[in-house]
Amino acid sequence: MRAQVAAAAPSPVQAPARPAAVAVTGLRKSYDGVAAVRGVSFRVAAGEIFALLGPNGAGKTSILEILEGFRGRDGGEVDVLGLDPADRSGGRALRERIGLVLQDIAVEPYLTVRETVARNAGYYPAPRDVGEVIGLVGLAGTERQKVRSLSGGQKRRLDLALGLVGNPELLFLDEPTTGFDPSARRDAWEVVRGLRAAGITVLLTTHYMEEAQELADRVAVLSGGQIVAEGTPATIGGRDTARTRIRFARPAGHALADLPLAAELTQDDLVTVETAEPARALHQLTGWALSRGVPLDRLTVDRPSLEDVYLRLTGPDTAGSGAERSAR
Amino acid sequence: MTAAVQFSAVEPGTVPPGAAAPRRGNAALLWHQVRYEQLSFWRNPQSAFFTFLFPVVIIAIFGALFGGSRSSFFDGLTPLQYYVPTIAAVSVLGACYSQLAIVLSIRRQNGILKRVRATPLPAWTYFLGLLAHCIVVSAVDVALITGVGRLYGVPLPTHWLAIAVTLVLGAASFCALGVAVASLISNAEAAPAVVQLVLFPLVFISGTYLPINSGLLSQIAGVLPVRPFNQALIGPFGLHTGLDWKNLGVLLAWGAVGAIVAVRRFRWDPRSQ
Repeated sequence: MRAQVAAAAPSPVQAPARPAAVAVTGLRKSYDGVAAVRGVSFRVAAGEIFALLGPNGAGKTSILEILEGFRGRDGGEVDVLGLDPADRSGGRALRERIGLVLQDIAVEPYLTVRETVARNAGYYPAPRDVGEVIGLVGLAGTERQKVRSLSGGQKRRLDLALGLVGNPELLFLDEPTTGFDPSARRDAWEVVRGLRAAGITVLLTTHYMEEAQELADRVAVLSGGQIVAEGTPATIGGRDTARTRIRFARPAGHALADLPLAAELTQDDLVTVETAEPARALHQLTGWALSRGVPLDRLTVDRPSLEDVYLRLTGPDTAGSGAERSAR
Repeated sequence: MTAAVQFSAVEPGTVPPGAAAPRRGNAALLWHQVRYEQLSFWRNPQSAFFTFLFPVVIIAIFGALFGGSRSSFFDGLTPLQYYVPTIAAVSVLGACYSQLAIVLSIRRQNGILKRVRATPLPAWTYFLGLLAHCIVVSAVDVALITGVGRLYGVPLPTHWLAIAVTLVLGAASFCALGVAVASLISNAEAAPAVVQLVLFPLVFISGTYLPINSGLLSQIAGVLPVRPFNQALIGPFGLHTGLDWKNLGVLLAWGAVGAIVAVRRFRWDPRSQ
């Protein structure tokens, strides 16, 4: 009995045993009396990739800016690499150890790519090699080009290079691949995975579910200034224990009541069956369909995607149950 | 309580090994910063032309327009003896006040300032780097203007030290005013208009382009920043006098006002919150 408990406890994803690179407890922030962050707590273990997911206005950027030291907080505890970002006296020491990639592209237009990266490298005590960083973000060959001649995607890569050149222990990525084409996005993901392999902790915000799914070790979903769910991309919001969903086009000439299982009709005219026993349900359903010559067009079997979970968690009626939603 | 917090912030044990590498010296960091400011400036055709070449072109035109005889209209100087210092002042205004107000507004609006704030570069190094950069541009400009004056027969000044000190103090004061204006403008598109709106009448009532022979106007302009700077330069350039502490005092007072506004109101973030 004891052994079982001990084996279950140090799950590497649910309860990070490694030291926290970021620890936030009860963080609160209001703007003109309107609460933007309402008691947020989370930990980012050293070496992991942690994603903050949430719609615009959920408080993602506010939290990130408080952690980065750009904004003060109204309440709560914040610890970033052992330092308090609100403590100005430690600001330089903290900035030497973190890297930031902000949302907007902001680079001097008349410097070359190499000059831009070399200038920022000069601000850090132990920067990475300038040429290596340029290669890492996929800008090799553009070293002598003026920044103003780069495409939008190339400028974003340059931004990423500026976040990396100080050789940070912790990297903040605020929507890092917004504006990237799909292949550039995959390249950027490779870069970020490479950072994790090198032991760098990454805290990113994104509204691409796919990005969180591909990159993050753990995800926290923010809605209305609060964390409404936290977990791995595979388990968040009960994805791992959620019931399997079988969907197919409504069979012509048959009412829902004719089906051998309890089913609902969803808005895109699909019949949806949710079940905890997919093998049995499929067997019943296909047996019924074969005996009646029903083709079951558009048949799919899946579990809620991260996006389904996200939309449910951040939806306007977050408090409402799933049954209420599907009844409409 | 406060003491304990301060102690833990500087305690070496709190800084993990990752940050153990020594920092660059302040002088090296400042030089690094000035170097890249210079690169950005000279590569930008707008700043290189309007800020840098404009005063040189003006003095060249004035040299061709006016003769070389002394006149009471020009305080007993030849026209060019008068214009070399006032146009030198224009070049400092452009390189310091106008440039900083406009460049900092633009950099803030497009997020470059916020990005600077995200690096370990200390704020004072950033601003000292800008000041040094502006002084370099001003010095080159003033040297060129003096050279053009020499071609038109204006004797070279003898009080170089007084000129150098006046230029550095003037540059510092107008840099502070430039940063102050950048702090008060929230919209980068409005920056050039605001800068000119302030500067244009000020330059005219300060005797920069036409000597002021009205006592009242001289008195008004005398307590504003441009005329004292003109006078402080006309002394060592044309009249072979030394440092004009009375006028420099007025100028430095304005610089102090600018610095106070800048320190209180400067923002790195494009958003007002």
